[in-house]
Amino acid sequence: MKLSFRYFSNVVNVNKLKRSVLISQSNDIYTNLALEDWIYRKYDFENHNILMLWSNDPCVVIGRYQNPWLEANVTDLPYVTAAGVKLARRNSGGGTVYHDRGNLNLTFFTSKKQYDRKLNLQLIKAAIYKEYGLKVDVSPRDDLVIDDLKVSGTAAKLGRLSAYHHCTLLVNANKTNISRALQKECSDIKTTASRSVRSKVVNLCDENPLITVGGLISAIGREFLQQDTDDEFQYLNPTNAAFPELDKIRTVLSEWNWCFGKTPKFIVTKSFIIPSKFLVNERDQELGIIITVENGKISDVTLNDLTGLFSLEAVMINKLRDCRFTPETIDGLIQSLLEEKYKFVSDCVRQVMTSI
Amino acid sequence: MVIQRLIPRAAQLINNSITLKQTNSRNVILRLISTSQCHFADRYFTRKHEWVQIDGKIGIVGISDYAQSALGDVVFAQLPDVDSVLNQKDECGALESVKAASELYSPISGRVVAKNASVEETPSLINTSCYEKGWLFKIELTNNKELTELMNESQYKEFLKSDEHH
Repeated sequence: MKLSFRYFSNVVNVNKLKRSVLISQSNDIYTNLALEDWIYRKYDFENHNILMLWSNDPCVVIGRYQNPWLEANVTDLPYVTAAGVKLARRNSGGGTVYHDRGNLNLTFFTSKKQYDRKLNLQLIKAAIYKEYGLKVDVSPRDDLVIDDLKVSGTAAKLGRLSAYHHCTLLVNANKTNISRALQKECSDIKTTASRSVRSKVVNLCDENPLITVGGLISAIGREFLQQDTDDEFQYLNPTNAAFPELDKIRTVLSEWNWCFGKTPKFIVTKSFIIPSKFLVNERDQELGIIITVENGKISDVTLNDLTGLFSLEAVMINKLRDCRFTPETIDGLIQSLLEEKYKFVSDCVRQVMTSI
Repeated sequence: MVIQRLIPRAAQLINNSITLKQTNSRNVILRLISTSQCHFADRYFTRKHEWVQIDGKIGIVGISDYAQSALGDVVFAQLPDVDSVLNQKDECGALESVKAASELYSPISGRVVAKNASVEETPSLINTSCYEKGWLFKIELTNNKELTELMNESQYKEFLKSDEHH
């Protein structure tokens, strides 16, 4: 009796649920993340589920609790494409992804109760199969894969009442740029930040050349609305006039204090061979540099110097405390102090920052 | 094996009201320890599965066993800074698990007097010991009356059996 009643009430709820497909007309990562956050905070999704579809100019997007220096080639990003690759930190968990216009992003907004990542991924899977006859699978880690190669990465944010699940879909993204933006050697670093699980990826268009971002927007949007046409899709122009205070959110999300400053504390260690010109008798001596970074700023620099040659420099290098962990910080110091030993030490510190 | 069977029996003897659903012996042992060390009457629960244990003016805050199991492996804990002033239900941090960042809310109003550095260092403590080593922060209560809005241990258990707890 109780069961049948529950079943009945579920059916009623499903029928009452309104669904909308919103397509952002912006290709700016910070604007789209701001729009996503705006919708998440302002709407009640209990009776109205929303799918937002969006695509960005080249950028690297890290998870809320990640370390950008660890996840991306921070110093190379401006040179990967002509216009540069932006770096953004999103509000959801999960790992780092690369976006360009060959990548489609999907955000499923629901109430916290209705949050169901597998269901959303099954919907995408069904839409791709119906439209293109291509079979993708949902992996145990909630990725979409084709023969163990990833075409989609997933992340989510859960609040008290609302939640969203968003994911990427690689359609024809520039794989060379993905590697240049993300691939790097591991440094000796101690941190509690969540690390990305690096996976091999494949573009959907490599499997079926007919697949395009536009075609997928249409197919997935129709599947979400359970309709045969695109007529009800809504195209959004994310301006401050239409979305009050959107600019404010965008500013916060694009600032250094958010993108780099929100990095969980980390300690990075690197050793350098001391040039023989500084040494008297010993050879092959190393200078260790240990930098602690909190809120993106240097909170401690320690020299591990068995030779005792650099005790004066160790004191001077402490001027770096409270400075941002960027090479520019060092450049500012070098101009005023060009003594050779000091230059060696500051070059080492600079290298820690650029090669982390 | 014999020991594993004995432990649930011992726990039942100590507190009959505790239902031991876990088959995992590790969980059972943790339950046993918490049963013998603290008074459940002093631990209050929210409908969003946070708990607060009162010790004089200080409340120790954490998340419930149901919540940690629903979250899965916690890989990052962002806790409120000491001296932050919180209102009841304020967002005060987040826990990341299986690619999801879940907001954390304060079950009670007050000033944060401590946060659990061990949990920041080893977030999995929330999964292995959510009522003991996995506590999140301590708060100096400003409004004891708020406790009446929260559930005690047995009310919370009833709440978990109902449909509305998701």
